[in-house]
Amino acid sequence: MSPRIRVALLALAGLILLPCAATVIAGLPPFGATIAQYGERINAITPEARHVANMVSAINFDLRGLDTLGEEFMLLAAITGTVVLLRGRRGEGNTEHAMRRPGRAVIPRSEAVVLACRIAGPLTALFGLYVVVHATVTPGGGFQGGVILASATLLIYLGEGYAGWRDAIHSHWLDAMEGGGALLFALCGLAPMLTGAAFMQNVLPLGTFRDLFSGGLMLVENLGVALAVTGGFTQLFLEFMEETRAADEPDEPGEESA
Amino acid sequence: MTMLPYAVAAWLFGIGLYGIATSRNFIHLVGCLGICQSATYVLLLGLGYRWGSIAPIFYDHPPGTPAVDPVMQALVLTDIVVGATLTALLLVLTIQAYKRGGSLDPEKLRPMRAGGGSRRNQASSRADDGAGKTS
Repeated sequence: MSPRIRVALLALAGLILLPCAATVIAGLPPFGATIAQYGERINAITPEARHVANMVSAINFDLRGLDTLGEEFMLLAAITGTVVLLRGRRGEGNTEHAMRRPGRAVIPRSEAVVLACRIAGPLTALFGLYVVVHATVTPGGGFQGGVILASATLLIYLGEGYAGWRDAIHSHWLDAMEGGGALLFALCGLAPMLTGAAFMQNVLPLGTFRDLFSGGLMLVENLGVALAVTGGFTQLFLEFMEETRAADEPDEPGEESA
Repeated sequence: MTMLPYAVAAWLFGIGLYGIATSRNFIHLVGCLGICQSATYVLLLGLGYRWGSIAPIFYDHPPGTPAVDPVMQALVLTDIVVGATLTALLLVLTIQAYKRGGSLDPEKLRPMRAGGGSRRNQASSRADDGAGKTS
């Protein structure tokens, strides 16, 4: 199909859909006037029912925890698919150390970059941990904090170079974190059933409102999500980096450098 | 003014879709898909907003203060996480398509064939085929 026909088809489809979309938009409540009853009720009830200040975390880990379980496994499946596709030719054996392309120059880093990364890296990791553990109190949670933690590992790469990064980060640990986090979340759903409660019922003591230890089971689920997201995203970075190191010719021997 | 966020969402979705339809590069296509997805963020957050409300976090404000819809915010969070992993997956598929077909142009994508011992030779010849046909 030529590009011109494709654009014409798109315009045609748009013309047909435009009145429908306009009708739907006109039927929506005016912006900023009201919110859905479900959200309103959650805001009203949850702080007392679950002793949690952050409603978004309460929805993700408790009220709609089953949906988050599905999302967690979607994340796992997407990352597994990415890793499988990227590792296709390299096979299952992932080297523990950095491979170096013969003939590619190693560009020295400026000392300012190294210093900035050595200062910013630990601080970013600390901030990520803070965002993770305060999931039920202030804005944040396992998803957001996990991504910040994964970014902190990237700062190691920026400051110490690829070989140093690979020495600090082990691929097998990432696999374990990613899978273990998802497993922990699933177990949080199944464990209450052993006590006769419903799936993912919040059976742990709820703690005090506005305290770090509030929300009961949510804290464990949040930890599982943080582990899975940190492991998964770092694994993605690692596999993409490794891809840039892959030899063009399948038989070309790689050179190890420490 | 009351329709502005929805109009922005529709516009973002529209230009994203236009980009996808006219794309000549897989990486550009993945970016356009990201724009389409950001339309959903705008739509969801716009639906959940209410003037004069606080964020649905009752730390500084006592419970009972009017707050915006937390369900929409949780949905957007889910959306962003799924979007990020989806982008990674699509970029990997782009790498694989480039390795097999030797081109990033969706127009030149040919059906995969079984076998093919000398993949590189095949890839380059196929890329030449595509270039010959379009010109």
